[in-house]
Amino acid sequence: MIHILKREFTDSIKSIRAILIILFITFVSYKSALFLKENPFLISELGKEGIKAGDVYSAGLSLIVFIFGFLFVFAISHDIVNSETEMKTMRLLVTKTSRPQVMFGKLLGATLFWVVTISVSYAIISLISQVWNGEEYLRTLIFLFYIICLAVFISTIVPKTKLTMFLGILLGIALPILGSVSMIIDKWYLVPFKYILPFYYLDQSFGYVLIPLAIGIIFFLMSVLIMERRDL
Amino acid sequence: MKAIEVENLIKRYGSANVLNGINLTVEKGEVFGFVGHNGAGKSTFIHTLTGITRKSSGSFSILGTPGGELDRVKKKIGVMPDIANLYQHMRGIDFLRYMGNLAGDMRTKRSYEELLEEVGLKGAGGKKIKSYSFGMKKKISIAQALLGDPELIILDEPTSGLDPESAIVVRKMVTRLQEEGKTIFLTSHNLDEIEKVSDRVGILTDGVIKKLGTPRELKAQAEGGVQLAVRTKPVLTAEVVNELKEKSGLNLAFVETKREFTLLQLPSDDELPRLTRALLDGGVDLYEVKVEERSLEDVFMNA
Ligand SMILES: Nc1ncnc2c1ncn2[C@@H]1O[C@H](COP(=O)(O)OP(=O)(O)O)[C@@H](O)[C@H]1O
Ligand SMILES: [Mg+2]
Repeated sequence: MIHILKREFTDSIKSIRAILIILFITFVSYKSALFLKENPFLISELGKEGIKAGDVYSAGLSLIVFIFGFLFVFAISHDIVNSETEMKTMRLLVTKTSRPQVMFGKLLGATLFWVVTISVSYAIISLISQVWNGEEYLRTLIFLFYIICLAVFISTIVPKTKLTMFLGILLGIALPILGSVSMIIDKWYLVPFKYILPFYYLDQSFGYVLIPLAIGIIFFLMSVLIMERRDL
Repeated sequence: MKAIEVENLIKRYGSANVLNGINLTVEKGEVFGFVGHNGAGKSTFIHTLTGITRKSSGSFSILGTPGGELDRVKKKIGVMPDIANLYQHMRGIDFLRYMGNLAGDMRTKRSYEELLEEVGLKGAGGKKIKSYSFGMKKKISIAQALLGDPELIILDEPTSGLDPESAIVVRKMVTRLQEEGKTIFLTSHNLDEIEKVSDRVGILTDGVIKKLGTPRELKAQAEGGVQLAVRTKPVLTAEVVNELKEKSGLNLAFVETKREFTLLQLPSDDELPRLTRALLDGGVDLYEVKVEERSLEDVFMNA
C-alpha cells in the first residue's frame, strides 16, 4: 500500500499540470496575504462583514480552492484508477497486492499531494500573517479530499481515460456553479446538489465538515466494492 | 500441500463458457505446461487463479490457500500476465524496483541489475520501457514475476514471439528455477515447445482439459503406429500395397504418394524388416526408407 501511495504521490507531483497548479495556488496565497498585510483597513472592513481576522489572510487561498478545486483535482487525478485498468498495469498490481490496498494507496497518494500543496501555501501565509488558521486549513483539506474521492469514484466506473478527462473538465466547471447556485436558489432540482456537494456544509459551523468527509468516504468505499468484483 | 488445486472451475464471459469445468492438480516442484490454441482460455485460467478476474463458479486453492483468501498468498506467487502494457514512462530498473517493493523484495539495486542480466536485458535498465522492443518487454515481464522469491511462478506464454535464442534462455531459466525448488506453471500454444521443459502437460480444448500427462505418456498415446516414407522403383500404388498386405500378412496401410515417396502406416517399427523383405520378394527395388516422427504438436494440436 505504502509503495502505491508513494508512486501515486510522485507521479502527481512530477506532472507539469501539477507543478503549474502548485505554483498558481502558492502565488495566489502569497499575493493575497501580502496585499491584505499592506492594506490593513481591508481587514477591518471585512471584519464588519463578519469575517474573523484570522480567516482573512487565507481567504484568497480558500476562494481559489473552492472555485477551482474540482477542476484542479480532476486535472491531476481523473485517471487515477482507469489509467491502470486501461493499460492493464492493474493486472501487475493485483497479482502482488490486494485490490483494496491498491485503491487505498492511490487515494492516500493523491491526498498527500494536496496536503503538501495546501500546507506549503498555509506556511507561506502564516509567515506573512503570523497566524495559521487551523479550522480553515482542515476545511480546505476535507473539501479537496471529497473531490479526490469523487475523482476515484468516477475513474472507477468510467473505464476510458479520454472520457474522464472530458468529464473532469465538464464537472470541474459545472459542479462549483451548481454547488453555489443551489445554496442561494431554492429550486427542487438543485436540492440534490446542495446536499451532495460540499459547498453548503463548508458555509456552516465547523462541525459540518464531517458530512462531506463522510460522503467522500462513501464514494471511496463504493469504488472499492465495484473494483472488488471487476474482471481486470 | 499442492501448489495448485482446481475443481470444476467455470468462467463465463457473457453467455460463453470460456472455462467449462477445469479440474487440475499441480504438485509442488513441478513444471506444468498448459497448452491450447489461441483463444482456448489459457490466459483466462491464469487470470482467475491470480486475482485478475473473478471465477463464475467452482473452486481453487493456491499453495493450500483457498481462492477466496488469495490475497494472503500473493507474495508467494509470481505472475507474468499475458497482456500488461507495463509502465511506459518508467525506466526498466525503476519498474523492477517498484514491482519488487510491492512483492516484498528486499534486494539491492545491484541485484536488480543482476536480475535484468539474468533475463537477457543487460544494460537496458536505464532505458525507458516505452523504448523496449516486444521481446524486451516480454523479458522484463518475466523478470518482475521472479521478484520476491515466489514459490509458485506462473508465466503466460513466456516464449511466444521471442527469437529462438531468447526462447532458449527462458527455457533454461525455467529448468533452473525448478532446480531451486520452485513450482512453475506456464502456457504455450505450441505443444512441442512446452513439452521440452514440462514434467506434465495439460491440453485445453473447448474449455476443459482434454489430455493430461507427462510428455512420455502423451507420446505413447500418440503412437498409433509408425509412418514410413519409402522410395521404390516402381513407385507403389494403393493396389500394389494391398497385394503386398495380403501376401505377407502384414498389417500395412497405404496413406498417400508424395512424388517418388510412398507413405505407409505400420503398427510398429518391429514390422519393418518383414516389410522390406516382402517388398524385395515382390520384385520392388528399395532405395530409401524413412521413419517419420510425428510430433506431439501434430498429433494433438493439428488433429
Ligand atoms: N474480458 C473478456 N471479455 C470477454 N471475452 C473474453 C475476455 N477475455 C477473454 N475473452 C474470450 O475468452 C476466450 C479465451 O481467451 P484467452 O483466455 O485469452 O485465450 P488464450 O490465452 O488461450 O489464447 C476468447 O474467446 C476471448 O475472446
Ligand atoms: Mg493467452
